[in-house]
Parts: sequence; structure tokens; C-alpha cells
Amino acid sequence: MSQVADAINLARDLAGVALCAVAAVFAVAGTLGMLLQKDPYTRLQASSLVGTTAAFSVLLAALVTAPSAAIAARVVVIIAFFLISNPTTTHIIAKYAWNSGITPRATPRDGKPETPEAGDDDD
Amino acid sequence: MTAVAFSWTIWIFAACAMAMTLRLVIGPTTVDRLTTLAAVSAIVLAILTVSGAVGARPAFLDVALVYDIFGFLGILAIATYTRAARPGAPPEGPR
Repeated sequence: MSQVADAINLARDLAGVALCAVAAVFAVAGTLGMLLQKDPYTRLQASSLVGTTAAFSVLLAALVTAPSAAIAARVVVIIAFFLISNPTTTHIIAKYAWNSGITPRATPRDGKPETPEAGDDDD
Repeated sequence: MTAVAFSWTIWIFAACAMAMTLRLVIGPTTVDRLTTLAAVSAIVLAILTVSGAVGARPAFLDVALVYDIFGFLGILAIATYTRAARPGAPPEGPR
């Protein structure tokens, strides 16, 4: 019985450490994307990466290593509200950018415009 | 083991938030500043939640939930009122 409890605690610790590693990797990647990308929409996507993936991973790590049921219940409530509010925030910012008149930098894969209407200012 | 991992995660998140402040300063448009605000808000929420869960302090988690709600409402208010205050903005679609 005690061995089962020890195994469960070890599994919780390992899951917490793995989720923390995932969160750190995605946080660094999202920060680099926010600092290096050239399009406001691309930077918004990097910010959403930090918010959703990194913060959600570390919230899950806090959930699986929660020391008591009261803390676990609060973390579940925080995760539920975070999963609603963070994509909504990203959508609000994207809508704000679109209404502000910012056009996305559309670059086709082969470097040439796909239709004559898309590349109206060259040639 | 988990305490060390959570401590490293908190420091990495704090470093990321400080690096994002650079984008807040040099951001050419208001969209970049709103983007930075959303990301830093998520990072601060994660740090508060981890601090409460590691130290077994449930008050931190209540503060984190209210911080999340007010961060969302703050971004919503900024996006609404700065768009309403701009005189020459087109109503829909890109220029």
C-alpha cells in the first residue's frame, strides 16, 4: 500500500517536472518569436503561444503536484477561466488590429504573387 | 525535485517577461503593446499559481484568479476605448 502511494507520488513529480520543461521551452520560443518576427499578426501568434501553451503547461504542472484538494480545486477553476479568457483576448487583439487597418504581410511560398491582384504594386 | 523545477520555471518566466518588455517599449503599433500586455499577464498568472501551489498558500490562487479576470477586462477596455477614440479609423476591414 505504501509502495503504491510512493509510486503515485513519483509519477506526479515526474509529470510536474516534464510539464515545467515543456513550459520553459515554449516560453522561450514565444519570447523569441515576439522579439524577432516582423508582422504584428505573427507576433500575436507568438504571444498566444506563450499564453496558451506555456502558461497552460505550468498550470497543469501545478495541478498534478497540488499538495491538497483545496489547492487543486482552485487550480482547476483558474485553468477553466484561463482557457476561456486567453483565446478570447487573442481574438480581441486580432480584431483590433484588423479594424485598425493593419494588413498582414502575405508572402507566397515561391516568392511570387499567386494572382495578379495580390501583387498589385510590383511589375 | 518539483520545487527545483518550479523555481527554474519561475525564473525563466520572469526572464521572458523582462525580454517582452523590450517589445512593449519598441513596439511600433498599439497592437504590439496589447500583445505584450496579454503575454505578460499570462506569465504573471502562471507565476502566481505556481507560487501558491508550491508553498501551499491558497490565498495566492484566489489572487491569481482575480488577476486573470482583471487582466482580461483591462485588455478588453483598452481595445474598446482606444479604437473608439481614434478619429480616422475605418470601421471594418483593412485599408
